[in-house]
Order: sequence, then structure tokens, then C-alpha cells
Amino acid sequence: MATEEARRSRPDVLLALGQVRYQLMLLLRSPLGFSLSIVFPLLLLVCLKVITPSHPVGGLPYAQWATPAMCAFCLLNACYVTVITSMVLAREEGTLKRLRGTPLPAWAYLAGRFGSALVTSVIACGVIIATGVAFFHVSIVWHASGYFAAAAFLGIACFFLIGAAVTTVVPKTDTALPIAFGTMLPLAFISDVFFSVSHPPAWLHDLASAFPVAPVAQAMEDSFNPATQSWPMPLSGLLVVLGWSAAAIAVIALAFRWEPGPAPAVRGLGRSPGWLSRSRHGP
Amino acid sequence: MRERPAGQVPAIVVEGLRKDYGEVRAVDGVSFQVRRGEIYALLGPNGAGKTSTVEILEGHRRRTGGSVRVLGFDPGAGDRHFRERVGIVLQSGGMDAELTVREMVSLFAGFYAWPRDAAETIEQVGLAAKCRARVRTLSGGQARRLDLALALIGDPEVLFLDEPTTGFDPNARREAWDMIAGLRRSGTTVLLTSHYLDEVQHLADRVGVMSHGHLVEESTPDALGGRDVSGTVISFRLPARLRGSDPPAGPWDQPAGPAGEFTMHTDEPTRVLLALTQWACAHHAELPGLTVTRPSLEDVYLRITGQAGIGAGDGH
Repeated sequence: MATEEARRSRPDVLLALGQVRYQLMLLLRSPLGFSLSIVFPLLLLVCLKVITPSHPVGGLPYAQWATPAMCAFCLLNACYVTVITSMVLAREEGTLKRLRGTPLPAWAYLAGRFGSALVTSVIACGVIIATGVAFFHVSIVWHASGYFAAAAFLGIACFFLIGAAVTTVVPKTDTALPIAFGTMLPLAFISDVFFSVSHPPAWLHDLASAFPVAPVAQAMEDSFNPATQSWPMPLSGLLVVLGWSAAAIAVIALAFRWEPGPAPAVRGLGRSPGWLSRSRHGP
Repeated sequence: MRERPAGQVPAIVVEGLRKDYGEVRAVDGVSFQVRRGEIYALLGPNGAGKTSTVEILEGHRRRTGGSVRVLGFDPGAGDRHFRERVGIVLQSGGMDAELTVREMVSLFAGFYAWPRDAAETIEQVGLAAKCRARVRTLSGGQARRLDLALALIGDPEVLFLDEPTTGFDPNARREAWDMIAGLRRSGTTVLLTSHYLDEVQHLADRVGVMSHGHLVEESTPDALGGRDVSGTVISFRLPARLRGSDPPAGPWDQPAGPAGEFTMHTDEPTRVLLALTQWACAHHAELPGLTVTRPSLEDVYLRITGQAGIGAGDGH
């Protein structure tokens, strides 16, 4: 029989791994979000290839450019849209509040969500690339595959963090999807995800460069170009990705909440900053 | 389940607790203590401040003022060690509909270093037959039992039960009561709110009644509002050979006919009964229909809260 003094916390790494397993189990039981992350980009790849069968991009066959571009679109769906909708749903249905009453730290919960987004992204990118190789004569540029993986991982982490940060300002479930798509789609359009803009206006280029989608998408696309011999993301792009990630972490740390309902600022209740292990409703 | 020493050491200490929602003061200077191993019930009408109080103790809400300690922790500090030692049954909380009962309980067991056995806990809440069923297929009462299982799986020292048997059928309520009574035997401290006064009567060692944010009464269920002594009704009939006599300790409400009942509402039932029974014994007489009745917990509760007709719910 254990005494009360002998109580000790479960190791953090086990909590985080348990959450990854839990989120993956949810993914398998309710695969809608998982399918959308793959089906939409796959459909787009096929449609765009059919519409523009011989249109070259930057000297490459269209599918050679579009395949990694649709992989970037997969990341946006799996790590941004799905994270926003599923986390807001979990919060508004009271699932997060129930978890808040347990010893589970917020970071472990987020680690589980991240693990789920990572696995979905890897599978989705695998399906897209396999389709491109099998049906559209896409060649994998093996010497740049590490760059592709690194750029994709940066995108997964950055989009996930921004998605988790955005949940803090989404007031209720039925606004989650419009906010997610309403912010993601315009950025994707100007960031070389759906088509390559050869000579964009300077202001549009500057605008796209200020957000992390363009550097990630372009680095992934460049990794499928046989001419690429070095890390394809410029330093300015890397700093944008890291800067947005850091800002998102700050927002999560200050404003992540477990309770349903509008953000405290909306309710007019002041909140002192709290780190991830702190309750947003504690004194 | 670990045995824990019960005693006079308080598990919960609340002093001058205040909670404001904008201009509205929901909890106003509430103070009480709950001893280890005790089952303490909070009663009160809608909007009395019960759930606000309980959620502050659970760490779900920020207090405006006053002091709160649960097992020596300030719940609002969000300490993980605090949450390892308490269990919470929320009034309403989400669950992942696509997981099974067993998976949910095992998932929550994984949060604790020393969880209870999942299968045993599921059986204890009466869901053994449903352990492979998905959560979305559970009835309201079964989902409430799963709530209870999730709160118990960490083997908590303090258990918060916010209306834990709402939606249960009578048999399930009785089973839940037996389980909660079992927790008391193992030394678990329970803070309970309930819609059901019979539940409080059956389970609670002590009751606090809240109204308009104040704790207006605190006692054992049997003595609430002085109901163990005050307002007691004594009634009897006189045997034939004593008719026309004047019973002692009066004045009594006189019967309409010679065989009718004498009745009295008294705050001193012991003194009155002693005088009455001594008088009857002195006359070698039995008093037919002698009864001593006390007001029900519901009667006292309605009188205390001054809101007859309003149930014991809470609006927050």
C-alpha cells in the first residue's frame, strides 16, 4: 500500500507519449479531418494537372512543381485548419475543462496534438508524392530530400503553433472553420501554394514574405527541383518562420484556456499572465 | 484503494471567500471547513453560489477575495501535485464520443503515478457490461457513471462531486450512494452538491446551506435548522379512563372529539415528553398514537433559504 508521501508525478515524457497515442486513436476513430487533409490536396493536384497539362513552372514540368506545393497545402490543412477546429471543439464541449482537473500539463496535451498533426502530415505528404510519382511522372530529388523534410518539419511546427494560438481568440465552435479557412486560403493563394506567381507586384511579394506560408511552400517546392544544391530557404524566410513560431508560443503561454466560452478579454475579466502549467482561471 | 486516516485535520479550509462576476457578487464571505474523511454537502437554490464555490476549490475559477486551501494547496495556483490528489465530477464536461469506456478510463489512469485498477473502477461504477461500448452510445445515467469513474481513477484524497447522480435511475442512485459511502470508509474526503435532499440526508456528515452567496446555515443533516429539536410535533390520544384530564406540559391543541389527538409544536421535545410520559406512567396508562415527528430536511431547507418552491440547483 502506498503512503501519501510516496505519491509522485508520472514522468512528463510518459504523459506526452500517452497524449500522442490518445490523439492518434481519436484520429483513427474519427478520420474525417484526417481524410480532408489528404483528399483536398490530392483532388487539387489531379484537377490542376488536368487543367494545365503542359504548363511548365520555373522550367519544371507542372506536376514536379505542384506535388510539393500540394504537400504544403496538406500541412496547412493538417496543422492549421484541423488544429483550430478540433481544439476549439474540445474546449467548447468541455473536454479540455475535464482534462484541466487532472495532472495533465497543457504542454503534454499540446504535444499530443502536435504528434497527431505530424503523423497526419507525413501520411498526407506520402500519399501526394506517391500519386505524383505513380501517375504524373514526378521525380523525387533524393539529394534534396533532406531539405524537403526539414522545410516540411518547420512548416508543421510553425503552422501547428499558429493554429493553437489562433484557438485562443476563436470564441465558439461554429466560428472555428470560417476563421481557419478565411485566414489560410488567402495566404495560400499569395504564397505559391495553388499556382506560382512569376512576377508578382512588389506589395504582394512583400505581403506574402511577411507570413510563414511562402518560405515553407517555396522551400518544399525548390526541394523537388533537380537544380537545387543547397538549403533552399533564405535566411529572411527562416527568420519569418521562427518569428511567427515564437510569437505563437508567447500567445499560447499567455492566453491558452481550458474553459469554454469567449476569451477573458471578451468577457472583460482581466487575467494575469500564466505559463502553460497555470490555469487561466486561477488567482 | 489506499486507506487514509480520518480525523480532525481539515482537508478543505475556506475563509471569507468572495467571487464577483462584474458587478454581481456570487459568493460573499463564505467560510467553512471540511475534515479529512468527511462528506460535506453544499445545498442552495439556483444562483446561491454553490458551483462557483466548488469550482474555485477545484481550481477551475479564480476567486475575487478570501482564502482557500485544499490539502494545504491553493487550488488557483494550478499546482500539478494538487490535481494529482483530487478528483472532480463536473456538472457537465465533454468526453471523446468515439472512445470506449475502457479506453477513456485507461487514458485518465495514465495521468497518475498510482491510479486505481481500471477494470475494478469500471465495475465499481456499474459499467462493467459497457466497458467496450463507445461513449456516444451511453445513456445519460451511464455517462454520469463514467464521469464518476474518471474522477475516481486517480484514487483521490479529496473528491468534488457536483450533482453526481443527476440522471440516475433509483437503483443506480442507490448504487452510487453505496460507492460514495465506501469512499468515506476509506477516508476519502468528499465535497458534494446535489439536487436531491434525500441524497444529502443519506450521505452527508455535514451540510452547508448557501443562499444569495452566503453560507446561511451549517450543521449535520439531522440537526439542520435545529430540526433535531425545534418544530417537533408531539401527538397522542388519551385513553378512555383519562378523558377529561388535563395533560401536563401544555398548552396542547385540544382534540375536536373525546377520541381526538392532542398535538403540540415544541422546541423542547425532551422536556415535554418526559413530563407527559411520567404523567401517563403515574396513572398506569398507555398513550395511544403517541408520535414524535420532526420536519423533513426539505421543510427546513425551504424555510432556511426562504424560497419555497425553488429547487436546490445552481445557476452558475
